[in-house]
Order: sequence, then C-alpha cells, then structure tokens
Amino acid sequence: MYHFDWAIFWQYLWPGTALQNPLIRYGLIATITCSILAQAVGVLLGLAAALGKMSKFAPFRWIADFYIWWFRGTPLLVQMVLLYYGLGVTHIFDFPDIHIIGITIIGAIQAGTLALAINEGAYMAEIVRAGIEAIDPGQMEAAKSLGMSYGLAMRRIILPQAAKVIIPPLGNEFNNMMKTTSLMTIISATELFFGYYQVNGRLFKPFELFLDASFYYLAMTTVWTFIQSRIEASLGERKQVRAPSTFQRIFRSSPMAH
Amino acid sequence: MVVKADKVNKWFGPLHVLKDISLEVRKNDVVMIIGPSGSGKSTFLRCVNHLEKINSGIIYVNGHPIGYHVREDRLIEDREKNIARQRAEIGMVFQRFNLFPHMTALENIIEAPLRVRRLPMDQVVADGERLLARVGLAEKRGSYPSQLSGGQQQRVAIARALAMKPSLMLFDEPTSALDPEMIGEVLDVMKELAHEVTMIVVSHEMGFARAASNRVLFMDEGRIIENSTPDQLFDHPQEERTKQFLSKILH
Repeated sequence: MYHFDWAIFWQYLWPGTALQNPLIRYGLIATITCSILAQAVGVLLGLAAALGKMSKFAPFRWIADFYIWWFRGTPLLVQMVLLYYGLGVTHIFDFPDIHIIGITIIGAIQAGTLALAINEGAYMAEIVRAGIEAIDPGQMEAAKSLGMSYGLAMRRIILPQAAKVIIPPLGNEFNNMMKTTSLMTIISATELFFGYYQVNGRLFKPFELFLDASFYYLAMTTVWTFIQSRIEASLGERKQVRAPSTFQRIFRSSPMAH
Repeated sequence: MVVKADKVNKWFGPLHVLKDISLEVRKNDVVMIIGPSGSGKSTFLRCVNHLEKINSGIIYVNGHPIGYHVREDRLIEDREKNIARQRAEIGMVFQRFNLFPHMTALENIIEAPLRVRRLPMDQVVADGERLLARVGLAEKRGSYPSQLSGGQQQRVAIARALAMKPSLMLFDEPTSALDPEMIGEVLDVMKELAHEVTMIVVSHEMGFARAASNRVLFMDEGRIIENSTPDQLFDHPQEERTKQFLSKILH
C-alpha cells in the first residue's frame, strides 16, 4: 500500500512554500516567459509563412511549403534535440548563456524556446492563412483601387479584419503552448516540469510531486481561459456573435490540440 | 483623351471574354456600358484600372499604358509601385460597396489620402467632411458601414473614391445591390458628379443614361456592338442584338 505523503504534497502545492524552491520558482517564471515569447515569435513566423504561401513569387511558396511540411511532419521533441544538440555538436551554434539585467538565460532555454517558436509558426501559418482567406477579396480590390500597395493593404485593411478570425484559434494555441513547454525538460531547460522532475529525483515522491505540477499547469491554463473569454467577448461585441462561456471552454476538448 | 483602349483582348482560360475592344473616352465624357451578364462589360471596366490583366492590345489612361509598358512590341507588366500610382488617379465604385468594415465612414474616406498621398491629418479630415456633406451624410462621419443602409454605404464609397481627386471614375453596377428605394439617392450623387469628372459606368439605369451620359455602348459576347448617344441607342438602335436586349430590359 502506497503511503501518500501529504506533507510533501502540500509543501510543493502551496505557492508560499513551493516557490521557495528556486528550481520551481524559476521554472514557473521560465514556463510563463517562454510560452509568451515562443507564441509571439510563432505568430510572426506563421504570418511570414502564410504570406509566403500566398506569394506570387514561386520560391517564397516553396520555402513556406517546405517549412510547414517539415515542422508539422516531425515531432517537436525531435526538433528540439536536433536544434540544441545537433547545432551544438557541429558547432554551427552553441547556444552560449546570455546575461542580461542580472538574469542568466541558459542555452537550453534559448534552444527550447526557439524550437517551440519555429514549430508553432508552422501551425500558425495555416491559421493566419485561413484568417486572411476568410476576408472578402473585394476588400483587397477596394484597397488597390485606392492606390494602396499590397503591403499597405495587408497591414491596414486585410490583417486587422483577419485578426478577428485568427484570435480565437490563437488563444487555443497559446493554451497548448503553456503545456508543451514541459517538453523542454528533455534538453534540461529549467522550466516548471524540470523543476518538479529535479525535486522528485531528490525526494522520490512522483505521485505527490507530479500531481502538484499538474495543478500549476491547470492554474495557468485556467487563468488564460478567463483572459481569452474576455478578449473574445470584446471582439464579439461588434460582430454580434457570442463567444463560448468560460465554463464551456474549460470543459470542452480543444479541436486545435496537436 | 482620358482613356484610349486599342484592340483589347482577354481570355479566362479558354473563354474569350474581350474581343478587340477599342474605345476612346474624352475629358468630362460620361460613358455608359450596357449589355447582358457575361458580355464582358464589368471585366473591361476592371481592366481599365488593371484589376484584371489583359492578354493583348493596350489601354492608355491619361496617356500612359495602364499596368504595362511596351518593350519591343511586347507588353511587360509594370512594377506594383507604378500600377498603384496609376490606380491612385482612378476612382472605382463597386457593386457591393467594399467599404472597410473596421473603419468609420470618415476613416474609410481619409485612409488613402493619408497613407497613399501622405497628406496631413487636418487637411484630409477637412476634405473628408466636405465630401461626406456633399453626398448628404455629414452626420454619419462616426458610423461604421454595418450601421449604414446600402444606399448610404454606396454614397460613402463614392466619397472615398473622390477623396483621391481622381481624373477618372469607374462605376461597376453601382446600384445593382441596392433596394429599389435607395437607387435614387445614389444616382442623384452620380448625376451631380457627371458635370465635373470623367466617368465610365456599367449599369442598366436608363434614366441616368439619358439624364447624365453623353455616350452609351452596348456590349455582347465580348464585343462592342453599338456605340452612340443615349437617345439614339435607346430610341433607334441600329443592331438587331441591341433591339433584342433593350426589349428585354424595358419589359
């Protein structure tokens, strides 16, 4: 009969005590920052890939197609080790630690976040493209007939409208992103799961500790779900479409999971 | 000469939609194009500002070939920048208005003068308000397109095109998507404009043609079948196909 260690369970669940452990404190910070960064860069890469895929210039299309094909067709875990160890061992790029404003960002975190961002970009590309293609072609024609260039028309006319279509699935992507950062453990990036993993290595209380880790991920995704509902409700006001309630959102399976 | 089209041909795949279209439009002309659907009238209009590419022939707008330059007797498509610069001089009004839904009426109007012409904000706002007043919508400056009726949207769209001070205005079936009671307000605005800007109008509004245009073209199957004054074309059509078409739209 397994003896459930309540003391350990509460110690590593209650933020007041759990965050005293630097591995968990910095892990939580790293998970949140890396998620935001990887998602932001992923959106930009996705936008570039979407525009590339729609380009009249064939080589841009080929590059975008190859990028999407590769990063959607291989496991993120493999992309991560390939990027970090592969580039390291060949000395193409060693991911040296970066020191800024008193903080050290270790190479594994850099490589992990970069891999997450590049992978995310391949998925965002399809979302952005669907968003752009949802806009009436008459909008681009009207913009062009006013003398706007393609770039100006995209920036001022098409993308602001496409954003409303893109934001709901983008929110779901970010929800996934916060959980997917845990894969960085494989390259010893010091994120939240890695913190619990290390503590478990010392205490060997896997049931208690990984349950605690689960609660931290749940807290993050639940808070995000509330924020997402707010954002979508404010977008829906003008569109007269009701966004799903927070309750519906939490207890329904995500169609965008990958 | 504002527009000069010379033997313009266009194919959509195997479909020959414009066949040797030649046309001259002088300053302050108001030219109407009528014809059955699929006759190529809208396609031709869209070629005049290069929203559609042509396969042969050439269209000059204000003396410059639109969308292309000629090198060794071949048409080479222009750089995007040059095409955009030419389009800025040509206003276009669409059947489905195509207002920018995320911008207010005034923002729709000032967008291009502000971002394309890079004119100062106070000047474009003053111009925009004057144009809105001119189309009878001064009090709607802060309304979004979704809050306007079809007729009001089309009047804003006309004001938006005029804000670039174009030397040529193209109207692509401007009243076809409107409820009947709103057609009049749009035509009234167009009639007033007819005195001061060169226009090519694809439309079957006969009343407008008689009141405001000085030339009517009848197109069928990609060709200009008849080209004359409105009274002549409507009252004494010369071609059999014109007669058949008119009898259909008059009854």
